[in-house]
Amino acid sequence: MEFLELLSPSFFLLAAAGSIIGIIFGAIPGMTATMAVAVCLPLTYTLGLQEGLALLLGLYVGGISGGLVPAVLLNIPGTPSSITTTFDGYPMAQRGEAERALKTCIVASLFGGTFSAIVLFFFAPVLADFAIKFSYVEKFLMIFFAMSVIASLSKNILMGVFSGLLGVLLSLIGTYDVSNGGNGEYRLMAPFMEPYLAYGFSLLPVLIGLFGISTIIEEAEKGAREPSLENKVNLNKGKPFRFNIFKGQFSNLMRSSSIGTFIGMLPGIGGSAASILAYTQQKNFSKHPEKLGKGEPEGLVASESANNGLTGGALIPLLSLGIPGDSTTAVLIGAFTLQGLQVGPLFIGENIDTWFSMITALMFANIVMFIVMFYAIRHIAKVVLIPKFILYPIIVMMCAVGAYAINYGIMFDVWTLFLFGVAGWIFTKIGIEIAPLVIGFILGSSAEVYFVKSLESYGEYSILFTKSPIAMVLWGLIVLSIVVSVMIHRKSKQHANKEAK
Amino acid sequence: MKKILQSTTILMAAACALAPAAAYALDNPIRGNIRVVIGSKSTGGDTYQASSIIAEALAQKIDANIKVDAVGFSAAYQALGRVPTGNTLMIFHDQAYLGNLYGQKGYEDPFKEWTIGPSFATNPGNGYLVPKNSPYKNMDEILNAAGNGKTIRVAIQPGGVSEIGYTAMKNAVRLAYPGQEDNLVALNTGSQSDKNQALFDGLADVINGSVQANEQYTRLPADDQKAMNFVWLTAKASTIAKANPNGMGETSRDQLMQYASGLGVNIPMDAENNFTFDKEFYFLYNKRMSPEVIEFLDKALAEVFADGKVQETFKKSFFIPNFRTSAEAQKHFKEKRDSYAKIINNLHK
Amino acid sequence: MFDWFSSLNAVVIDFDTSHLFFPRIVISLLLILGLVIVVSYFRPVMQAIRTGRYQFFVKNADFFRLLMTFALIPAYFWGMDAIGAVLPNMGLGFLLASIPFVFLMSMLYCHDMTRRNLIIIVSNAVITPTFVWGVLYHLFAVSMP
Repeated sequence: MEFLELLSPSFFLLAAAGSIIGIIFGAIPGMTATMAVAVCLPLTYTLGLQEGLALLLGLYVGGISGGLVPAVLLNIPGTPSSITTTFDGYPMAQRGEAERALKTCIVASLFGGTFSAIVLFFFAPVLADFAIKFSYVEKFLMIFFAMSVIASLSKNILMGVFSGLLGVLLSLIGTYDVSNGGNGEYRLMAPFMEPYLAYGFSLLPVLIGLFGISTIIEEAEKGAREPSLENKVNLNKGKPFRFNIFKGQFSNLMRSSSIGTFIGMLPGIGGSAASILAYTQQKNFSKHPEKLGKGEPEGLVASESANNGLTGGALIPLLSLGIPGDSTTAVLIGAFTLQGLQVGPLFIGENIDTWFSMITALMFANIVMFIVMFYAIRHIAKVVLIPKFILYPIIVMMCAVGAYAINYGIMFDVWTLFLFGVAGWIFTKIGIEIAPLVIGFILGSSAEVYFVKSLESYGEYSILFTKSPIAMVLWGLIVLSIVVSVMIHRKSKQHANKEAK
Repeated sequence: MKKILQSTTILMAAACALAPAAAYALDNPIRGNIRVVIGSKSTGGDTYQASSIIAEALAQKIDANIKVDAVGFSAAYQALGRVPTGNTLMIFHDQAYLGNLYGQKGYEDPFKEWTIGPSFATNPGNGYLVPKNSPYKNMDEILNAAGNGKTIRVAIQPGGVSEIGYTAMKNAVRLAYPGQEDNLVALNTGSQSDKNQALFDGLADVINGSVQANEQYTRLPADDQKAMNFVWLTAKASTIAKANPNGMGETSRDQLMQYASGLGVNIPMDAENNFTFDKEFYFLYNKRMSPEVIEFLDKALAEVFADGKVQETFKKSFFIPNFRTSAEAQKHFKEKRDSYAKIINNLHK
Repeated sequence: MFDWFSSLNAVVIDFDTSHLFFPRIVISLLLILGLVIVVSYFRPVMQAIRTGRYQFFVKNADFFRLLMTFALIPAYFWGMDAIGAVLPNMGLGFLLASIPFVFLMSMLYCHDMTRRNLIIIVSNAVITPTFVWGVLYHLFAVSMP
């Protein structure tokens, strides 16, 4: 095998370094996997293709995984796809089970990452052919399916759906983007906003504003007091991590990893949809769905195995169609173009050595990620012990760096951070729910494009139902998902009533 | 131990920061780091690629730190407008004035708003494709079919480089079959993946694409749903003739030449001229930037091209090196704009 | 016989105005839902506000720290942009604005102003931004104002 000759020690060293740097980037609130890959992209010039790719793939895997750390410890998603990790991770950390939560996430991440790498290796071309069966209609339905999580996630269905729609509306501000197929016209904004909001609000600043900055404002309102000694989070108080946490979670792991890989495979759906969808499905299938969102490890398992499942999935259309599956692979493609290498339907066949070495790097990065995180996590978890007066200024500072850098240096993104920090603080006070709002915001603009384009190209509403067997199956799943979540709401209400009596 | 590590890192970083400052070329009127903002938001696209190549070469020549930031046209214009010192420069391509001609939001007239800087490269890859099993084998058949009342759907991204070829096709139908040009219909899609998908879904008969993005699809066997054929490359035959002889992937330059304007494909612009479109990359400067800095950059880039190394890098990535000084570029692009304005206006009459 | 169906089913979206199609749907849905929410929750909410059971601010809110936070963060963002405009493309806007910001915010949130804490605050305010600037701006070439 010729490719073995390409695997020099420096190849593995770079994959490992990438993985570790990626973890750090992912773990800093405001810095993301995409950013890690973007900043290291110019390095691949000098490194050459194989080694450059090893570094970038390491960064990708590390960055996606690192995002779980602030999600659990600080309630700030380190990377947009770890948003669902905050739902159960942070409550667990509050109970003093930070280490248990983190380790659960890490194991789930390893499973998802490895699963997707294997799927990528064996099925890439077949799956790519399946992925192109998803036209505007099917993609819209996938988005809609992911949005159905709003129904089960909200505390009050009415307010939750309202918040979700508000999020969708916020995501539509700006131009109807030409590069997504829109007509480039502005809507939903006053003329003075045009120079700033031509592309609308960016996702990452909105997200860390709503989660990070608004938490700090809330704390300031309460006086930013340090917890008294007896209330202090005790890292040894909570249940320790044991592998038997995964007992009965195999179907969850398989399902969530598959969902992650599958969503990654569909270009234009967006990576964050993966963990959102996996989380919904876990909630629907769970034996005690009412506990999810209050600190259940199974929620973490779903979220983290899905967002690492994304990594291999998003590489499928990249390597077998030349089309990136998510925002990070959209940057990754630059490594190929900078080297003058084409990615397209014949890439794998014509670059078999590169292909094998990429899979090797991906697997190796996953293993390094696991070892580093699993054994370093005890120390990382101590972040929660840093006093607020030191931690908070640093969080604001890092969020500002991240927001500024996410679109390669736009000041308005930093202001977005503050705007949504204040908005998030007000929203929670008037009953608007943040999680549904964010999900609406994440999925809103793609929902628009695919919905409008479906109708525009086919000229009839019924196409949404009759386009293909895939569409019908998706409708079945959507209906099922909504029915189940309404039932869950009923059940938990009865439960609450019973307890009240 | 940790502290030592920390302080060494800082020291190293500080050293990195100071090193280039000491090595400044004496006659460089730009103090400090240079940021090149580009009109595209993608780091996987040709704008980023071309900009990285030229920025790298320029950085070595003038011994400065140059960083390319893919901020997108609207943010790039803002950044450029704020810094007149030459510390922030912009690189964009024909989209700058085409967007304005097509009346896209946010595109002001670049000749009024900015100083046009040097041009440095051409991407000859812009083209149009049909599915391999399409009833149309070449551009003539497509135009004749449209002229004879058949509806032909062309997937493009409206309002710029992707639309200009479609406009030319429409113009060609109008010239040969007056009144029939509306049989050519635009299917407005976005990215390349959307355009490909429109072809797979059977929503489009012809799509806009590029040699770089679609070459592999043209080599798929005919029974593959994804297989495509080029029918037209919009670049001048003389431009493609300057490309790397190896072409792209497994398709050689000579094979590509048969789709070039004026050689294999004839799309008339008017009675006398053929329509061609070369996608050219050039700098945009802040209007207030001093002539001294403009001249310095003209000279520096001229030297970069005189060295001859950057040409090789461009050619390797299927770009055509193409250097003009700021003044030459200003004149060239104005003329280019005026000629395209004519056919766009003809169609809107 | 299916005429009524096909006329209801047919939809023509004019590309030039397609940017308004989806926002209109979303706004309509929001208005309807908003109305339902107001109708069903208006009374209990008003009552809660009148009786004082609902209050916008938390009990014993620390208005000083809250207002200062609202002043400090925008001042910080404005400051880094302003400094960055004077000294462009060196990340100095970030560095020179972060040091005072981190210091002031730490001072604001610190309740227990001992000598030890003060030393921690000052060294943190100097070291952390410098470290971040050194590593991210210079090592990784991350864009900074």
